Amino acid sequence: MRQLIARRLLQTIPLLFFVSIACFALVKMAPGDPVLSFVTPNMHAEDIERIRHNLGLDKPAYVQYWLWLKELFQGNLGYSLVNHQPVMDQILDRLPATAGLMGSAILLAVLLAIPLGLTAGANRDRWPDKLVNLFSYIGISVPLFWLAILLIYLFAIHLHWLPSMGMRSIGVNSAMDVLKHGILPCVVLAFGFLSVYVRYIRSSTIGQLKEEYVQIQYAFGSTKKTIVFRHVMKHVLLPVITLLGMSMADLVAGAIVTETVFSWPGIGSLGMTAVKGMDYPVIMGITLFSALFLILGNLLADILYGLADPRIKGAR
Amino acid sequence: MRKSWFTVLTLLVLALVVSACSGGNNNNGNTASPSASPTSSSASEPAASGEAKDGGNLIIAVGADPVILNPIYAGDRVSLTIDQALYAPLFQVNNGEKTFYLADSLEPSADNLTYTLKLKSGLTWHDGQPLTADDVVFTFEKILDESQNSMFRENLIIGGKPVQAVKVDDTTVEFKLPQVNPAFEATLVQLTPIPKHIFENEANIEKSTKNAAPVGSGAFKFKEYKTGEYVTLERFDNYFGGKAHLDSITYRIAKDTNAANLALQNGEINVKYLDPQDVATIESTGKFDIQAYSEGRLAYLLFNEKSDTGALAKKEVREAISYALNREELIQVVYGSADYADPAKSFVTPDGLFHTNDVTSYDNDAAKAKELLSSAGVSNLKLRFIISSGNKAQEAAGLYVQQKLKDIGVTVELQSMDASAYGQKFVDLNATDYELSYAGYIMGYDPDAYRILYQSDANSNYAKYKNEEVDKLFDQGAGEADPAKRGEIYKQLQEIIAQDAVIYPAAYTKTIVAIDKKYGGLDEAVLKPVVIFEDPSKLYLK
Repeated sequence: MRQLIARRLLQTIPLLFFVSIACFALVKMAPGDPVLSFVTPNMHAEDIERIRHNLGLDKPAYVQYWLWLKELFQGNLGYSLVNHQPVMDQILDRLPATAGLMGSAILLAVLLAIPLGLTAGANRDRWPDKLVNLFSYIGISVPLFWLAILLIYLFAIHLHWLPSMGMRSIGVNSAMDVLKHGILPCVVLAFGFLSVYVRYIRSSTIGQLKEEYVQIQYAFGSTKKTIVFRHVMKHVLLPVITLLGMSMADLVAGAIVTETVFSWPGIGSLGMTAVKGMDYPVIMGITLFSALFLILGNLLADILYGLADPRIKGAR
Repeated sequence: MRKSWFTVLTLLVLALVVSACSGGNNNNGNTASPSASPTSSSASEPAASGEAKDGGNLIIAVGADPVILNPIYAGDRVSLTIDQALYAPLFQVNNGEKTFYLADSLEPSADNLTYTLKLKSGLTWHDGQPLTADDVVFTFEKILDESQNSMFRENLIIGGKPVQAVKVDDTTVEFKLPQVNPAFEATLVQLTPIPKHIFENEANIEKSTKNAAPVGSGAFKFKEYKTGEYVTLERFDNYFGGKAHLDSITYRIAKDTNAANLALQNGEINVKYLDPQDVATIESTGKFDIQAYSEGRLAYLLFNEKSDTGALAKKEVREAISYALNREELIQVVYGSADYADPAKSFVTPDGLFHTNDVTSYDNDAAKAKELLSSAGVSNLKLRFIISSGNKAQEAAGLYVQQKLKDIGVTVELQSMDASAYGQKFVDLNATDYELSYAGYIMGYDPDAYRILYQSDANSNYAKYKNEEVDKLFDQGAGEADPAKRGEIYKQLQEIIAQDAVIYPAAYTKTIVAIDKKYGGLDEAVLKPVVIFEDPSKLYLK
């Protein structure tokens, strides 16, 4: 197991390297020119070239990549081409907002998905199952921005229970205030995650109910409720670990649409602005961060898997 | 043993995540001022206009984070809007009349080669340091410094030579021009001094961390910036123009238009730009003043004369297309109502000096259009119209033009592309694979600014128009000090360019702003394109 972790951590390095090359190549191949955001109509060609030179954008793409990589090895993600602030600072600045929002949305989704999924799976094709299915189909098909606007209209404009946008009231710095602002975006995101998680748990429950140990429990005279919520649940939690591992990337990448609608100051809306302005150091920084967290998340999931299920630990 | 090792590792990874988060928190703290102590309005004197009260906060919606709160770099709408309250300009011009802010007077010499700028005395920066001629000269030098990347540099180069700024005494600066240039006043309008004592030791002002806590000279001083959330400015009590009525102004970053409209109705935002289609909804609440005012912008149909088919190189074809269109209809289709745009005939906008709409205008006449096409021997004409996808005005204009040109037997193919690809193609003077596009510009009030669009070798001659007479007239206009003669030159230019059908001027568009009825003083604050309020110190809570 120790070897596994060492090996996986080593694999991370070439993986991130390829991710960064792919990302850099895609940004460079995309149409658009970051220098255009500095150009005013009365600039001469020489002025534009001077700005290009000052930003280091006149060098061949592979040299630009090499320079970026060299900086990276010194722990420096470079400077934004648009506002000239260090990329690392900008990402760290917005990380708490995104991690907090995504973390609570994922947690809420998992806590709801487990009982709902188990109930649906145990009552296959009966009304609880159909109800859960209906909601998860709605959750998957409804565009989240639409749901967001609907909830804002209902809870902020109509009922005046919650604020409609932002993360804080102006000039207020309290946890309660952030919490109040966070409820709507959290519910919207959780609804999206929940719809997916529920379907995983439901089908995994259906699969488990066919296993021999369930039959044995029946033979011992256990009720269905006990079997599902005590024995089946343990097994069903395994795929949940994988799901959570995959969600680690969301934790730092944020949600572009939901963050934009709620003006939530997270990484998703930072990324959106960067893509619009062809601000490749910021795009690269965010991609690298989420790739790193995806890899770490998967590694963590594998480790937890091993802890939860000794059979898997043995197999490695 | 093994098991505990894993637990440690798991905890370690978790700790990493947590510390990354808290690191972010610290960072947040750096940019913000420590506490949000409510500013107690200190014994306010009775306001000048009787009903104006002191105190209160105003929340203005902005669409993005400001790029940089430093006026020598600010080029985006949001930074410009915030800078307008944070940094006082030297002076502003409305309908040809100057309103002086930091400046007391500006006098050209008899030969028009030297402009003497007098500053008001006793000016201070927000940190209490005096604002003097040194700051003006410093700002000038930094803009001209090539290593500083200021986008205003070009404006200070006249005929290939830089303008020189010389300090005479603490409140007097002389600008020495290499040649006569009446448009220099329009350049000074945009030139807002930055504090020398803050930036003099910064090698790269653009990257300087000092921009995160700007020290300005305007009616409001910097208080707090929460990235992605809002920027708050508070009243500066030593403002030379008299204390502002409001305690503070907050610029709230709201990226989604629909959500921001809801926040406006909910009172979480007090001032916001509106799209024409949203006006009815907001108006029906009865809580807002809705103002539509000229933004000094021309929206026009661009004719690319140098396309690979050469279709628009013929003047008759451009005339025919112009005859096929109808301005009133186009405005109705693109802007929803005649209230939000005025029909345009001249390439100079109505706020510009010497503007006249009394020029050749090719008013709608489909029969004449067909006649022109057949007399030019053109048939089965196919044109490509490029559109930045998602740009509603361009999409609507494209469909309208397609429909109207079909009536005269011209096929228009709409080519929708990604915004950055569109931008790149539009400014590329060698792009030959399109003929039409619906574009717009805001050039300011001095008509000299338009030379870069219409002179043969200009950098932004997107129409690729060539006319030696126009080149000559623009050069003459730039160096003519006598306003009467200058006016004649620009009137002539407007007629020639209209006659040559270089572009199809469509509309002078308007900005629509909703302002909560709780606030007064809009007339004194002066509604202005791009920045919304010229002087926000005059706004008050009713």
